[in-house]
Amino acid sequence: MKKISLKEARLLKKFLVLGFISSITFGIFLFSSVEPLCKQIANYTMDLKLDTDKNIISATELLSWTNDTQASTDELRFHLYWNAFQNNMSTFLTEGERRSGRRVYKSNKEDWGYCQVETIKIMKNQFFEDHDITPTIEFRQPDNGNLYDQTVLSVKLPQAVRPDQTILLEIKFQSKVPRPISRTGVYKDYYFIAQWFPKIGVFQDGKWNCHQYHASSEYFADYGTYDVKITLPSSFVIGATGEHREKNDNGDGTTTHRFYQHSVHDFAWAASPRLLEFKEAFNFAPGKKTEITLLLQPWHKKLKERYLNAVKAAIKYCSLFYGDYPYTTATCVDPAYNSRSGGMEYPTFFTGGAYFLTRKGIPRPEGVTIHEFGHGYFYGLVGNNEFENPWMDEGFTSFLDTEVYYAAYGDPVYSKYYFGIPFTFKDIYIPIESYGGISEHRTTSDMDEMQRFSWKFMEEDSYGANSYSKAELMLRTLKRFLGEELFGKMIKAYSTRWWFKHPGPKDFYDVVSEFSGQDMSWFLDQFVHGSGKLDYAVSKIANQRQIQPEGWFDGKYQKSLHEKQEKALYESEVLVRRLGEVKIPVDVLIIFEDGKEIRENWDGQYRWKKFTFKGSVKIKTAIVDPEFKLVLDVNRTNNSMMRKSNCLAPLKWTSNWLVWLQHALEFFTIFGG
Amino acid sequence: MKVIINFSKGFKNTGKTARMVFLFFLINLALSMVLAVPMYHSLKNSFGQSKVGERMSKGFDYLWWEEFRDEGKGLDKTFTPSIIGKGAILNNLEAFVQMRFFKAPPLVLIVGILYIVLHVFLAGGILSIFNMDTPKFTAKGFFKGAATYFSRFFILMLISWVFFIAAGIFLNEGLNSILDDVADNSLSEITPFYLGLLFSAIIFFLMLFIQMVFDYARIKIVLEDRRNVLKSALEAFGFVFKHPGSTLGLYYLILLIHVVVTIIYIFIKEFIPQSAFIGVLIAFLIQQLFIFALIWVRCWLYSSQMELYRYIK
Repeated sequence: MKKISLKEARLLKKFLVLGFISSITFGIFLFSSVEPLCKQIANYTMDLKLDTDKNIISATELLSWTNDTQASTDELRFHLYWNAFQNNMSTFLTEGERRSGRRVYKSNKEDWGYCQVETIKIMKNQFFEDHDITPTIEFRQPDNGNLYDQTVLSVKLPQAVRPDQTILLEIKFQSKVPRPISRTGVYKDYYFIAQWFPKIGVFQDGKWNCHQYHASSEYFADYGTYDVKITLPSSFVIGATGEHREKNDNGDGTTTHRFYQHSVHDFAWAASPRLLEFKEAFNFAPGKKTEITLLLQPWHKKLKERYLNAVKAAIKYCSLFYGDYPYTTATCVDPAYNSRSGGMEYPTFFTGGAYFLTRKGIPRPEGVTIHEFGHGYFYGLVGNNEFENPWMDEGFTSFLDTEVYYAAYGDPVYSKYYFGIPFTFKDIYIPIESYGGISEHRTTSDMDEMQRFSWKFMEEDSYGANSYSKAELMLRTLKRFLGEELFGKMIKAYSTRWWFKHPGPKDFYDVVSEFSGQDMSWFLDQFVHGSGKLDYAVSKIANQRQIQPEGWFDGKYQKSLHEKQEKALYESEVLVRRLGEVKIPVDVLIIFEDGKEIRENWDGQYRWKKFTFKGSVKIKTAIVDPEFKLVLDVNRTNNSMMRKSNCLAPLKWTSNWLVWLQHALEFFTIFGG
Repeated sequence: MKVIINFSKGFKNTGKTARMVFLFFLINLALSMVLAVPMYHSLKNSFGQSKVGERMSKGFDYLWWEEFRDEGKGLDKTFTPSIIGKGAILNNLEAFVQMRFFKAPPLVLIVGILYIVLHVFLAGGILSIFNMDTPKFTAKGFFKGAATYFSRFFILMLISWVFFIAAGIFLNEGLNSILDDVADNSLSEITPFYLGLLFSAIIFFLMLFIQMVFDYARIKIVLEDRRNVLKSALEAFGFVFKHPGSTLGLYYLILLIHVVVTIIYIFIKEFIPQSAFIGVLIAFLIQQLFIFALIWVRCWLYSSQMELYRYIK
């Protein structure tokens, strides 16, 4: 492969600097056909070359960063995420191994990855003079003091960046593409390149929010414009964040691609000579259009329509529920097997995940595709801090993907893989209340409270159950508690109102309270800052004959009236209990044998409540939470009680189970020799 | 031709001993009921009084099942939505090939081992009956045969376990490690998928082959009243290797019958609504007919193999 000459490098630099400065001078959005959607704080112009023999990315990054706060700073901090993969002592890898048994794939020299900053220089502008700040580079470990961890870099500035001032930096760096350990890397000729460049942290409240890279954490960054040129072998098919603006054949077997996107906070790309590329324009609402790109593994060609339809469903329903999709592109990558890049989200660019054998009703690849696209709303547009409030991204996105999936496809069917072949059980549907992960919540979530830094959960399962399942189920419970219409307005307002603003939990609380007309922290706090479970149960139904006076009363003997009464009178009672710690007002429905229904409301505060009735008809059934509003209820079976036991169902299912056992015993006879 | 002749002879002989087949079926049912009763109570306690019971009468309440699974222990853990129809068969087939039967809950394992030992005991009876000139089931003849050969068959079973463990555990682990290596170096899931299928098929047919060889070892013991069990096993290997076409042909023909019976059952089971008592009853009868048919096919295999051995010898 031809190396770039010194002269060419100088010319390139000149061009980059000129282009960069002119874009700053005339507005960073010179090339954009659409107005930016927010203040562009961290703007990157990058030119990189991928050496596919050595798996090295050599790049120049021109960064324009504006201090959008009221405080000054004489330090800048950067994420160097790929240094998590430079040795086995990084925080990411030690945490991963300790918490989930995840090991480095193979410790061959060429498998490690890193991001090395060669030089970092301030470029002259109205606030600063040219200055080389490379000697001030230091690595920081703000979260755990692990000195082996070099995922956060800091540089000292000769003078502070004051509020509203912009600093221009030229950063030269080299990134070694790791063999995939998590989310990014190269596997054979498939490159999935994410978190690969020195990325400035977020300056907030007078300090840097720039955490180390943790095994369970994702990302947080400021919005800006990315104008990126990528040079790689011409045989490669490439997809990336934003619009594919240019493609120039360099005549040396390489091609340079230029991608551009404003109002995003990250840039990722994927390339491989094997990828199949499909493009389709999609009108998702009147006057609203986006271009969908699908990069597909060749052996998944027959899944093309399923992928495309999933992306369309995601765009359509997300636009409806959470605000019109504001970008002109949406690129979905079908990841290569073993690339460990599946199920990840980046602005306008995301990965799905598929298995070459799938069947109708199995949400694969649809589920993951919708989920990762959906991240574009919370991680992407709202810009949650995934390090510190993981539930605000994963939980909201899980809620979104379930809502979109069920709206677009209906209930998925239960399926199981035998010998790698999927089989569906057509009469068994997975209800929406289950799809959200009530099982994970039931078994794990009391280990932690939902609001934790992502790496501070007791264990990986607890991180998942709290950040994904519990948050999703809380939102679904809230939806049913507030009513579908009100919730719909509220969630759309929360989404669109907070686009590009990095909201925290309190901001969400405020929107919920505003729409519900009351302070809803009593509701949300129990889930966000609590680890208690929600479990209401009907514990008893009793229908007893009403006690009639019998015996001596004021000197007169009175016989029981029971014998004289033609129609018995009953004192009926329903005992409802709160078995969990979470307290929410709940309805109780009592059905009598003549079909009459009485609905009661219980504030759910004390541990139990008895409802008593007098009359000639016995209670047949009692149901607590009859509309199934409390989706977080860990035991739905005990929410209802019937006076008479149902024998048919246990008989039916025992007989089905019996034949499984009998058949298993016949298999056992093989071992009879 | 040899295969067809002995295949049909075996069928006729099995037909003459239908009472014996029925006895085996009853043993299977009785042992299974030992576990079915606690399962019934477990299900009834879980949802009998709940509205879930109504939903479970009409269909399957997936949400309930997740609760039951999460809170259940031991036997309860074996209740999954995949026990319905084809799922029951596929679950067992996969558990067999991957030797997961031995990871079953202790109660299932105990009943399973008891059934194996009972099977070893009854095998002597079966072969004694089929060894008659005109096979006819008599309790006396059957149990006399069972008692006569039990100790020899038991030792034979222990010898066979050496082969089953070698194939089912050690070979399986070796193949799985090859599969892992291939999977780790594949760009798509297709290669590991097909390789996995191939390895599963190898294990499956190898296990059946072992079973077949030891069937002939038992037949030798009964027909020739052999005392040396190990020698019988070795000679059975020799017999199978000497006559691979007819021994394997017969085995696979009866395996095919087994598969056909299973497919018919799966097909019929799909169409029986079980939302009312009559439907549950009909489904139960069809399920039991299926198990009876499988046991019939097993006896048919013994009978045919004995006829084939006699025919060749």
